Amino acid sequence: MDFQSLLKTAPIHPDVLQQSLWMIIALPLLGAFVCGVFGRMMGRANVHLVACSAVAGSFILSVLAFWATSHADAGVPTSVANAFGGAPSRYALWQDLGTWFSAGDFRVNFGLLVDHLSGTLLLVITGVGFLIHLYSTSYMEHDDGYWRYFAYLNLFVAMMLTLVMGDNLVLLFVGWEGVGMASYLLIGFWYTDAAKAWAGRKAFITNRIGDFGFLIASFLVVLLVGAFVKQANDADLQPVASTSARYSAGLEQRGPLTFQGLETMARALPDASGAVKLDTPISSGPLEGRTYGGVLTVALLLFLLGAAGKSAQLPLYVWLPDAMAGPTPVSALIHAATMVTAGVYLFCRMSFLLVMSPTAMATVAIIGAATSLLAALIAFAQDDIKKVLAYSTVSQLGIMFMGVGMGIFWAATLHLVTHAFFKACLFLGAGSVMHGNGDETDIKKLGGLRKEMPWTWVTFLIATLAITGIVPLSGFFSKDAIYHGVHHNHLHGLEWVSGFLYYVGLVIAACTAFYMSRLYLLTFEGQRSPKAKVAHAHESAWPMTLPLVILAVLSVAASVYAFPLLANSKQALMENFLSPVFSAAVGSRGDAGIAKAAGTVALDTSLPSLGSYAMAWATVVAGGLLAAFLYMRFFPAQAGVPAPGFARLIRRTAQNKFYVDELYEFLIIRPVKFLSFVLFRVVDAFLIDTVVVRGTAWVTARVGSALRYVQTGDTQAYAAVMALALLGGVLYAILKVL
Amino acid sequence: MVPISYYLFLAAALFCMGMFGVLVRRNALVVFMCVELMLNAANLTFLAFARMRGDSIGHVSAVFVIAVAAAEAAVGLAIVIAVFRSRGSVNIEDIKTMKH
Amino acid sequence: MNIEQVLFGAFAFLTLLSAGLVIFARSPISSAMALVSTFFFLAGIYVLLWAHTVAALQVLVYAGAIMVLFLFVIMLLNLGDELPGSRLTFSRILGGGAAAGLFAVLALAIARVPGRVADLGTQQESFGTLKAIGASIFTTWLLPFEAVSLLLLVAMVGAVVVAKSRI
Repeated sequence: MDFQSLLKTAPIHPDVLQQSLWMIIALPLLGAFVCGVFGRMMGRANVHLVACSAVAGSFILSVLAFWATSHADAGVPTSVANAFGGAPSRYALWQDLGTWFSAGDFRVNFGLLVDHLSGTLLLVITGVGFLIHLYSTSYMEHDDGYWRYFAYLNLFVAMMLTLVMGDNLVLLFVGWEGVGMASYLLIGFWYTDAAKAWAGRKAFITNRIGDFGFLIASFLVVLLVGAFVKQANDADLQPVASTSARYSAGLEQRGPLTFQGLETMARALPDASGAVKLDTPISSGPLEGRTYGGVLTVALLLFLLGAAGKSAQLPLYVWLPDAMAGPTPVSALIHAATMVTAGVYLFCRMSFLLVMSPTAMATVAIIGAATSLLAALIAFAQDDIKKVLAYSTVSQLGIMFMGVGMGIFWAATLHLVTHAFFKACLFLGAGSVMHGNGDETDIKKLGGLRKEMPWTWVTFLIATLAITGIVPLSGFFSKDAIYHGVHHNHLHGLEWVSGFLYYVGLVIAACTAFYMSRLYLLTFEGQRSPKAKVAHAHESAWPMTLPLVILAVLSVAASVYAFPLLANSKQALMENFLSPVFSAAVGSRGDAGIAKAAGTVALDTSLPSLGSYAMAWATVVAGGLLAAFLYMRFFPAQAGVPAPGFARLIRRTAQNKFYVDELYEFLIIRPVKFLSFVLFRVVDAFLIDTVVVRGTAWVTARVGSALRYVQTGDTQAYAAVMALALLGGVLYAILKVL
Repeated sequence: MVPISYYLFLAAALFCMGMFGVLVRRNALVVFMCVELMLNAANLTFLAFARMRGDSIGHVSAVFVIAVAAAEAAVGLAIVIAVFRSRGSVNIEDIKTMKH
Repeated sequence: MNIEQVLFGAFAFLTLLSAGLVIFARSPISSAMALVSTFFFLAGIYVLLWAHTVAALQVLVYAGAIMVLFLFVIMLLNLGDELPGSRLTFSRILGGGAAAGLFAVLALAIARVPGRVADLGTQQESFGTLKAIGASIFTTWLLPFEAVSLLLLVAMVGAVVVAKSRI
């Protein structure tokens, strides 16, 4: 049996396996429950066992599910029937656990979907998640809150899996909020430190702003679907081989927010036949008179706000660097590998909607590029090892957003995966460095760790080379795939964006090379700093180094996915693999795709040429060498000599993160605080507390003390009053009758 | 034949006399007796209407009222005894613990 | 003027007279005895209304049982005459006025009630008999009947608990 047919024969048949998809989520959830409730009495080793095995079990199930998505019986791939009519979703597993809730004609099913996109992410989440659990057992060996930590970590994994597996926007939002909560709990894990608790709150509130956008966008999508189903006729749904009756039957059965239904609508919208097109005004409802395309753009921009909150993009990126207050493995798992990529996942999942709006796409791409550049510049001057990595994460996420925005979804997903590997490796390496150096995070006080921590050094070096984009490593190929797509895809009406972003991207690549080289050089090369906390660092234990090694190997190996290895196609492996998911948006063989039908994006599926490879590589090497030159040759020689004035100014600005936090403080937080203060004084303290609460009490007390003289204690007086009341009542009744 | 309204007049008079007694007399026992008077007035009304309509539901109600009156008298008199034991008086003017 | 009207007039007059005695007698014993006579005359009125059973119950339960209870209590407490000069307080004037007013209002209403008396027809034999009432109580009104028995039990226990100083 050759390799290909092995891949297409899952050990467990998909029909059997898809009944158990819920267990992928349930296992870590159970782990979280057990660790959280019984953790303290179970003891450290048992908590480690439970938490790690929950994620490991989830990983095994994910592997099986992932395998099953590629299963094919006699050449027919496993698929999920489309409840809305039209073509089934190929290469997918689906489990419907019934109605979650319904109100009127709105309903939400608890459906779990595993296709090639969510399957890939499942593997990343549970795989990297397991490695980080393993790493944490050693990293947190001296912490008393271990049971709390592992409960939160398992909860996070469960929520992230819900986010990825949800077959509708509402379930995705549950996971979206759940990971936000887990992130909040873990950032503020050492809550006795006020600054860390504040960082948790900052992350949570910033995310809430984005979630607000997400919610409004979901409401808009519900309205849009409602308008569509009212207005569309059979001719609209003809191209997707469905009818309006079947579509509304699907809505009744599955609710308006499933991705399958949205995809069916998206495929029907740009088509020229039928009553509904992108520029058709909506005929009734709250959105009456607005065009479908316009509403869609607004909804997508609001989704962008949500994604910007979760994925730390402009203007909501400020929480991520502060989130480094949490334990380092948490930074690796949540704030580098998985949760922060949720925004990218969201847009990949909804690629079929995104490609219909060039405006939204351009905004996503430009936001991504701007964030990426800004974060890279800030990372230049940060001295905290985790802060540098945090800004680097923001920057890399920006690159993924660029890819998503320019319609090169598969590359964004690939970069998401490779980034998860090398950034997790970098963070865990940083954690290992901190662990071996008495929790020192200032790179100026480290140095020379190369000989003292060989495993950490090797893996950190590989991951650094991967993120900078040195040729044989995965980061180079995934990043370059994005840049190539950005360069060659053209948004309709916004053609200038492509070229512009490409050059911005090159600058970002150079900056990335610069700050990563700086980080690496200052930490591992040169002499040990005289200000170091401990004289000699010690290498970490195997549960910490083993994940590092695995992640480093993966950082190298993942580059395979960017190569066109298939015999009958010149697509890159990942592009081919993800085409069942993205074919609705960008098309594939035998499927024109929405982008072409709507005429919004001119796609280019060519592979990068050697010339552009060389150019990207040259940029990166230049950036890295510059850093090496500056930090290894120039500065040590001039130690003690003050830098020129303008350099200090730039450095100080970058060090202070371009004063963005201060700007937000001035523009948003201060006015809000002032308004809150006024509201507190006028509404709360005066109106509610004084007038309403105390006023009521005062009036009641005064009235009571006046009325108590009526209480004579004379029974007959009370009876007399009752008699009078009786007289009055009878009189009234009789007068009514008379 | 005596018109039913005569019976009703009698019942109203009896009820109001009972009420007058409840509101005016000071001896708790007499007050209870006046309550019995009022209950009897109610009974009379029931019976008068039963006669007027020619069905026996009014009679059933009267029987129930008598039973309730018996229960009320038993408990009420027990309370009177308890009050007398603690205060040495059944004058309701003396029982003013609930004064402001 | 037939015998029924004469009897009604006599019983009504005597009922009101004894009721007045209940209210205005100075000694509780006199009040109680007047109450007994009120019950007897009322029983007569009930008979005129064809309510033989209720009249019998009136005599048995009220004049027999309840009044004996009253007399027991009066004897037990050894109550003397009420002190003269019951004060004319505001609440008494108010209560007396309310009672009088209520009578006026009720009279006004009753004057409009038709004096019609049902023709008993075929049930002339059974109306108001123990059999008819019993059939009604033990079929339609069984649940209230059982509730009343429960009420009597509770009242009995309650009376014992309240009246005894030590059980």
